[in-house]
Amino acid sequence: MSKTFDRYTGLLFLAIGAMFVVESFKLSQSAYGSEIGPNIFPMSLGIALILLSIRLVYETFRYTDAKKNSVKLDYKRFGIILIAAILYAALLETLGYVITTFLFLLIGFQTMQRGKVWVSVIIAGCFSIGVYYLFVVLLQGSLPPFPSWMSFS
Amino acid sequence: MGTLEYLMQGFATALQWHNLLFAFFGVLIGTAVGVLPGIGPMSGIALLMPITASITSGLPAEAAATSSIILLAGVYYGAMYGGSTTSILLNTPGESSSVVTTLDGHQMAKNGRAGVALAICAIGSFAAGLVALTGLILLANPLAGIALKFGPAEYTSLMLLGLLAVSGLGGKSITKALMMTVFGLLLATIGIDAVSGVTRFTYDMPVLYSGLEFLTIAVGLFAVGEVFKAILERESNDGEIAKINRILPTKQDLKDSSLPIARGSVLGFFIGVLPGAGATLASFFSYIMEKKLSKNPKKFGNGAIEGVAAPESANNAAAGGAIIPLLTLGIPGSGSTAILMSAFIMFNITPGPLLFEEHPDVAWGLIASMFVGNAILLILNLPMVKVFAKVVETPAKYLIPLIIGFSFFGVYAVQFSVFDLGLLIACGVAGYFLSKNDFPIAPLVLGLVLGPMIENNLRRALTISNGDVMIFIQKPLSLTFIIIGILWIITPLFLKLRGKKLILNEEG
Repeated sequence: MSKTFDRYTGLLFLAIGAMFVVESFKLSQSAYGSEIGPNIFPMSLGIALILLSIRLVYETFRYTDAKKNSVKLDYKRFGIILIAAILYAALLETLGYVITTFLFLLIGFQTMQRGKVWVSVIIAGCFSIGVYYLFVVLLQGSLPPFPSWMSFS
Repeated sequence: MGTLEYLMQGFATALQWHNLLFAFFGVLIGTAVGVLPGIGPMSGIALLMPITASITSGLPAEAAATSSIILLAGVYYGAMYGGSTTSILLNTPGESSSVVTTLDGHQMAKNGRAGVALAICAIGSFAAGLVALTGLILLANPLAGIALKFGPAEYTSLMLLGLLAVSGLGGKSITKALMMTVFGLLLATIGIDAVSGVTRFTYDMPVLYSGLEFLTIAVGLFAVGEVFKAILERESNDGEIAKINRILPTKQDLKDSSLPIARGSVLGFFIGVLPGAGATLASFFSYIMEKKLSKNPKKFGNGAIEGVAAPESANNAAAGGAIIPLLTLGIPGSGSTAILMSAFIMFNITPGPLLFEEHPDVAWGLIASMFVGNAILLILNLPMVKVFAKVVETPAKYLIPLIIGFSFFGVYAVQFSVFDLGLLIACGVAGYFLSKNDFPIAPLVLGLVLGPMIENNLRRALTISNGDVMIFIQKPLSLTFIIIGILWIITPLFLKLRGKKLILNEEG
């Protein structure tokens, strides 16, 4: 339990709650045949969230920080995989499912542990081609195909 | 038609060969999911939803729904069982509901009785499945009958009760749990309002018109969040895996464990029916109960077979019991049942009192398939214990990127949108940081599912009363629900003030 995290998250949720309340004012106040418009529910929830956030921030001043069990976080590994995942999502529709999945898995495997490149290539290849074949060819589902400038599609 | 006839019809549905196959694969995948670190029952079900949807697309609508839900339910209780395998062999519980099993289960493994412990788990799970099934058959129709008399006010209060119960037991801090619930409800308001047709919080972005997709958020928060945790904290299963020698329990073992299994099953079932109190709580309570009832409590913690049998039956019975409020009232009481419910909705079937009238095939087929599934689980697990023990050894370096790959596939195959993939990644990051800091995720997911239902009923109730909030207090049933809900939140606070230690129901 981290005091700082709790405090900032509390403030963040306070802002989110406030945003919902403010934005609810822009919604219509009534629906046909009813005084209860679409604004009531989000507005009251926003107010509830604000109150709870204030309570959380208040609580952070009350308790002492629990002793941290120092686990060293591997931010480098996480960063690489996170960026790879974002690129995977961004390029999926342009490069097609098989290519992006293969590259993402290869980067993922090698980031988790260097070495044995061929094993990684084989597993990544089997997964990307296997899922594509099973889903698109056998089950008639739809996934982004190979880009059109490649001769096979 | 009477209940028995319906049940027979349900069995006819469940025993169709393709449904048997679905139950078999569901249970098999579920057990693997439970055994593998990093994916729990919730992410397992969420990940399989798109795949089952496309496999069953050739069948007529109702049959497709039945088969898919049979498979997903199989994953649900298969995972419950699989979680205990790692507890016993590795001393690392796969799910929070099998934490208690480590106490005696791993001790048994150290004494060279790992196989027996696993077998007792399977037998206990089977017995618990039977108890849950009987309970379902007895309670389903009467409960659905009562629920039919509910008006919008009663429904709103009942759902509020469910949310409060999950928040009250959901984590270390009730404030945080309530915040997550409210946030989930708020997220559910994004999109086109079903009552008035007004768009809310969409800012003219077409992707937001249909609201944030539940599946994406659930997979992101649970599956991707868990994976990020494993990457950041370098978790790995390098503990030593106990050897499995003898599998079949002796007569003495069976004699020792039969009563604990019976007690655990009944207790677990009733705890499972309560909203918010799920499998984790059930396993803790039954362990404590067995320890109290035992003639020599010193055995516990040193490899007592009762200490494995009771909690394992309890958590499986609870998993079965948790399906009752979902089927009869249409209200999920936990994160996993919330995801099951979204599977129903995906097939255009709304669980609730009308389910038994409108789609008796689906409801009774599912109930009967739970029995069939449990039998398959028993048959499958005894000979395959060693295979599953091998699954535990899957190296994390391959598993983790593959889970991300599966999540991407699962989300994209249903949504066809890059926006959802972005949301998935964002939810993964948020899920990791939130759960690391004791912000429970299950209440958020539950809020997201129940949000539209609560809002519709709330507005209907308020429209009937012309905006008078007193309608929730004037109706006796509604008032009762509200009082119970408030008690659920206040009692733990009160106990905490008096310095009592609480058992938490954290679902992973």
